[in-house]
Formats: sequence, C-alpha cells, structure tokens
Amino acid sequence: MKKKVSIFLILLGIVISMQFVHPEKLSDTPTEDLAGVPAEVNNILRKSCFDCHSSQSDLHWYDRLTPANFFVYRHIREGRKVLDFSKWDSVATPAQNNILYYSLNKILEEEMPLPSYTMVHKNAKLSPTDIEILKKYTLSRTPRKTTDASVINTADKEYTRFIQGEITAGNVKPTPNGIAYIPDYRSWKVISTSDRFDNGTMRIIFANDVAVKAIQNHQTQNWPDGTIIAKAAWKAQVKADGQISIGQFFQVEFMIKDVKKYAKTAGWGWARWRGSDLKPYGANSMFTTECTSCHKPMKDNDYVFTKPLDLFTQFKKRN
Amino acid sequence: MKRIFNIVVGIVTLTFLAACNSSTGLGLNEQASVKTNDKLPENPLLLHIITSSICPKDSTMASLYGNDTAFIYATHHKGREYPAGSILYEVTWRQQADEQWVGANIPKEIFSIERLEYTATGRAIYTIYKGSPLKKVMAKNTLKRVAAISKQRMAVSP
Repeated sequence: MKKKVSIFLILLGIVISMQFVHPEKLSDTPTEDLAGVPAEVNNILRKSCFDCHSSQSDLHWYDRLTPANFFVYRHIREGRKVLDFSKWDSVATPAQNNILYYSLNKILEEEMPLPSYTMVHKNAKLSPTDIEILKKYTLSRTPRKTTDASVINTADKEYTRFIQGEITAGNVKPTPNGIAYIPDYRSWKVISTSDRFDNGTMRIIFANDVAVKAIQNHQTQNWPDGTIIAKAAWKAQVKADGQISIGQFFQVEFMIKDVKKYAKTAGWGWARWRGSDLKPYGANSMFTTECTSCHKPMKDNDYVFTKPLDLFTQFKKRN
Repeated sequence: MKRIFNIVVGIVTLTFLAACNSSTGLGLNEQASVKTNDKLPENPLLLHIITSSICPKDSTMASLYGNDTAFIYATHHKGREYPAGSILYEVTWRQQADEQWVGANIPKEIFSIERLEYTATGRAIYTIYKGSPLKKVMAKNTLKRVAAISKQRMAVSP
C-alpha cells in the first residue's frame, strides 16, 4: 500500500513540475456570431467549429494541462491558419460560400470535426439534424441568378477574341511547383462534366490517352503513371429563361500521375492556371497542400473526384 | 486432420476480411454512358466536345460534341453554317447530385441524343434518339432544334 502511495506521489510530482513548462499562450478574443447567418447555424458552428477555427477557443481545464496543451495549441494554430471564422466579415460573399461548402463537404466525409477532437469533446460532435441544418442553409445561399449584362458582354468579347485567334496559350509561366502548361487538353477525350452550382461554374473533365486506356481497362482506382486529368472551368451564364450556357473561361487544373516524382503530394503533380491569360495559381510550391487537402477524402479513389464515363461501349447492332 | 481444417478456416477467414477491407473506388459512371444495345450510328462520347449547357427546369445537362470538321469550324467561326461533312451530337443527360461533392451535379442516364449531319447542299439532317435502349424516334420541332443546337458557340479555352 505504502509503495502504491509513493508511486502516486512521484507521478503527481512529475505532473505538477511539468506544468511549469508550457507552450506559447494562445490568443483568445471573443468571436461574434457570423453576420447574416441564422442563429441555429451560428450555434452549431460555435459548438463544433469555433474552438479550432476562430479566435475564441473555449478550452477545458484538461486541454490546458502539459503535455496535452502542446498538442491542443498547435492544432488550434494550424486550424486557425486554414480557416478562421473571426474574419468572416472581411470575406466576400462568394468566398464565404466556398468556405461553407468546403466545410460541409469535410463534415459529410467525416473528416471534421476531427474524430480525435470529438472523442474528448463529445459536445462538439455534430448530430444528423445539425448536419441537415448546415446543408439546407449552405444550399440556400447559392440560388441560380440571371447573369448581369456586363458579365455577358465580357464573355462575348472574350469569345470574339478567341474565334479571331487572339487568345492562345503563348508564353504561359509554369506553376510554382515547376509544372509546365499543357496546351492540348482540349483534344483529349471528355470523361465527365460537372454543374458546380456552389460557385457558379461549369466544368468539363478531359483525360489524356494514358488515362483513357486506364478507363478502358477499369484501372481508375489506381491510375497508372503518365495519367493526366484536366478539369477546365467556365463561369455559368444564366439566361432570363433559366437556361445555362458556358460563359467566361475561369481556369484549368491538371492532375499528373507520377508516383515517384510526386511522392510528396500523394503521387500526383497538381497545377492550376486562372483566367484567359493563364496566370499560374499559388504564391509558392506549398499551394499543393490546398489541393491534397481538398482531395484527401478521395484517397480510396486515388484522390480523383471524377467518376468517368465508360467511353468504350461496343454496340451490339449498328443502326 | 483438425490442423488442416483450422488452416483452411484461417485462409477463408483472412480472404473474407481482406475482401471486406478492400475498397472498390468509385468505378465508372456506367449509368451515364451509352449502352451496348443502344441503336446509335457511333459513340458520340468519343468525339470532340464543343460546349456544354444546363437546363435546371428539366434537371438536365447537355454536351455538344462534333467530329473533326465540326470542331475545327466551331473553333474559328461565329456562324452556324457548318460545312459539309460536319456532324454534331447534342447529348442530354438527366442530372444527379454528385455524391462526392455537395454543391455539384453530374450526368445520370442519357435522356436523348440529337444528331445533325451537314450535307453538301448545306442542309442539316436531324435525327433524335431516345428511350432505353436509345433508338431513333419521330423528330419534332426539327427546325427549332437544328437552330438551337447549331447556334451554340465553342467554349473558350486558351
């Protein structure tokens, strides 16, 4: 008995002495409710997201104990860097919508809130009702709206310049991770299209010959080296009668499979060029973190969101 | 004997567990592809894409495909006077919510395929395929459909 008490006291002493060592204090200022967002949505975000994604972290006493605080504080700092709801008011509405859709999809993929976090903070766990409320609200923020005449005018001018051969991929700069522009994707096979009403774009997904062969061989769970998938996006142009056509060119993104070369970025080279002047995306090579993080839920599908069309149907009888 | 039985049971159990754990990925969107028993002159999905459109009222999305002649013409011309030999296909799909991304719709099954073939006289022969399997059906509003399909312009891509 005496021995057990001694061990307990020693351990207690170690824990107490550990408390003199602690990480840099977290800044903690109150975060207002998000402006223009219903109270029930604000309550859910505050309960499940704000601790790591706002300037206000309501920590429990055990979160502040060393050594747990080293892990918790670092985690919160990283979380705030990725998404900070305290800055909501300074974010433009389209970007706010992007944040909400991205968050919702991370929640539905059960990536967020982090299971390691909800294991200890049971209260942060989202119920099916919470998720439904978030989904309904997020979808309500992006109704299709008739495109402004000025936007149509800009798209018309861009089209005229394109037809006249004035818009071409001339001296396009490589992306910060060293990928050169791939100009011939438009002659590749189309493997799907996507109506991205969350951000008002329309997308066409192209595949190079290697990728097309992989589709033919049903190897889309593990695309072979040499696969290139291009996703081109245009602004959706909504007419008064509700019909939607492709408008201004927005961007083109590429995923280039090379397991060895791109080992650090999930086996894929990631690249994106924006606007008809094809400006490389990303301030530095770390922009790929954004890509891999977004595609992470698709790990079991080799990080590819697209479910390709089967292009090789052989007709039994020609008409 | 008992040992052999245990080994067999072990192998079967491990195989079963491995099968349960292996992920099949998304696979292909077979539902939205043309089918072996569709009665089409060719697979339009193998041609060049010119542009794409959406009709939210009908929950459909369409892509305009063209053969080489049509694609080259659409790349350099604003007009709808496609040269002889041009073939256009307007493939219309029902839409479905993208299970991988809330905020997106992707193609479901094919609703119709409309075909325009331009003759030497500059006339467009219009054919429409519908149903499951897809087969030629009576064309309605031919002039209106030819105009609507051929007036679509090439999606700009530098």
